[in-house]
Amino acid sequence: MNPALRIPAEFVAPSTEDAHLPPFFELGSLAFGKQSLLILLSVVLIAGFFMFVIRRRAMVPSKGQYVGEMGYGLVRNHLGRDIIGEKDFRPYVPLLFSFFFFILVNNLFGSIPLLQLPTLSHPGSAYVLAAIAYVVWVGVGIKRHGLGHFMVKMTMPPDVPKVLYVILIPLEFLSNMIIRPVTHALRVFATMFAGHMAIMVAAAFMAYLATEVGGVLGIAGSAFGLVLGLFIYFLEVLIQILQAYIFTLLFAVYVQGALQEGH
Amino acid sequence: MEGSLSVIGYGLAAIGGGIGVGLIFAAYMQSVARQPESQRVIQPMLFMGFAVVEALAILGFVLALL
Amino acid sequence: MNALVLAAEEAKSPLFPDGWEMLITFIGFVILLFIAFKFIVPAFEKVYKDRADAIEGGLAKAKAAQAEAKAARDEYNQQLESARLEAQKIREEARSEGEKILADFKDRANLESARITENAHKAIEAERAAAVVSLRDEVGTLATQLASKIVGESLNDDDRANRVVDRFLADLDAEQGRTGAAR
Repeated sequence: MNPALRIPAEFVAPSTEDAHLPPFFELGSLAFGKQSLLILLSVVLIAGFFMFVIRRRAMVPSKGQYVGEMGYGLVRNHLGRDIIGEKDFRPYVPLLFSFFFFILVNNLFGSIPLLQLPTLSHPGSAYVLAAIAYVVWVGVGIKRHGLGHFMVKMTMPPDVPKVLYVILIPLEFLSNMIIRPVTHALRVFATMFAGHMAIMVAAAFMAYLATEVGGVLGIAGSAFGLVLGLFIYFLEVLIQILQAYIFTLLFAVYVQGALQEGH
Repeated sequence: MEGSLSVIGYGLAAIGGGIGVGLIFAAYMQSVARQPESQRVIQPMLFMGFAVVEALAILGFVLALL
Repeated sequence: MNALVLAAEEAKSPLFPDGWEMLITFIGFVILLFIAFKFIVPAFEKVYKDRADAIEGGLAKAKAAQAEAKAARDEYNQQLESARLEAQKIREEARSEGEKILADFKDRANLESARITENAHKAIEAERAAAVVSLRDEVGTLATQLASKIVGESLNDDDRANRVVDRFLADLDAEQGRTGAAR
């Protein structure tokens, strides 16, 4: 919890501002805070872990390598091969791998005591990731089909009466080219942010009941808050893993849609 | 207790998205239970539809925060 | 809401991104992507490929071993078959040989027995002839003695006696020859 968060006599729920801690140091406009540190830490952790477990490239995997292979195999086989397709999934494996584990580790930072900050609850990071994904899948589609054909693919669904295209083309364009990347970014941001807030509220509630109200009733209420907070905590862990998976899965689905032949 | 009205609005907006996502996954499970081999074909479409439906709920979230 | 908008001078909306955070995220992600592209994915793919190759190689090796075993078994079976044929031939030969030997022996035995029989016949013939001769002498002597006993001293002269006996035997022979011819 934010140490700056004081518990006043009257209960005030933590606001959205409390998710942002003061930076560690500032260089001009660069405010290097916990969030930036965690992002760099996640890169070191992921790269370090996978380079470590695969260092021997053993045919018969050790325990560490087995875990690494399970994670890598999930991304490669389930997200890559099964969705993008046997034929052209290979070039996208590094990207899928980076997306999945980058988001997964950054999300799980929100559930690790002391770190306790899902980095993607700061919107900038989520926007950047979704923008990379957007640029990649649109670029892949244009490269595969050419700009004109790709636009036709994205905006004109086949087997529809011609008259309907008047409505469908703007609608499909809006849905596929604008709403898609925006929701891609906001989905992961919103769930992380909301989850973080929920835990903060539960914690503040607990602290307020225990310290300000006090007495038997306050302690009992605080215990209830603890149970609620734990419940939210584990729900958050689940959601954090799920969101990393869904982000990568949607990226794979978009790439597959962009690569798909036909119409 | 400021800003609560927009959050209530978001809560109402999320109902639609929640029902929609629920319907999509229910239909997916039914179809896969009937024809397990169709899973690989349906799965990308499932997430496509899920993303589109959930977009509404996410837009509601954004509007509540703005 | 108003208070929030007023406060937004200081505190921005939570949806508003921080430029530096975006830059750091971008740099971090690109570094991770580079490492994944350059080291992690090739390493894992190599392990996958090695494993697949090893399994395929193992399968090929097993197939080869199986083929070899089959060839060896075929050869063995063939040898066994030829050995059996040979044994049969040998047995066949041995049987025919044995039959031949047996026939040979039988022939020889027959010949031998014929010879022995003939010899025996001849011996018997000779014995008989000898017996006849000796009997003739004996009978002659005995008959003479008997006759001399009957007729007395007058017949002591050997020459006469012999002549009498010879005549008597010649008569006997002639009579026998007559009866033999009549029969």
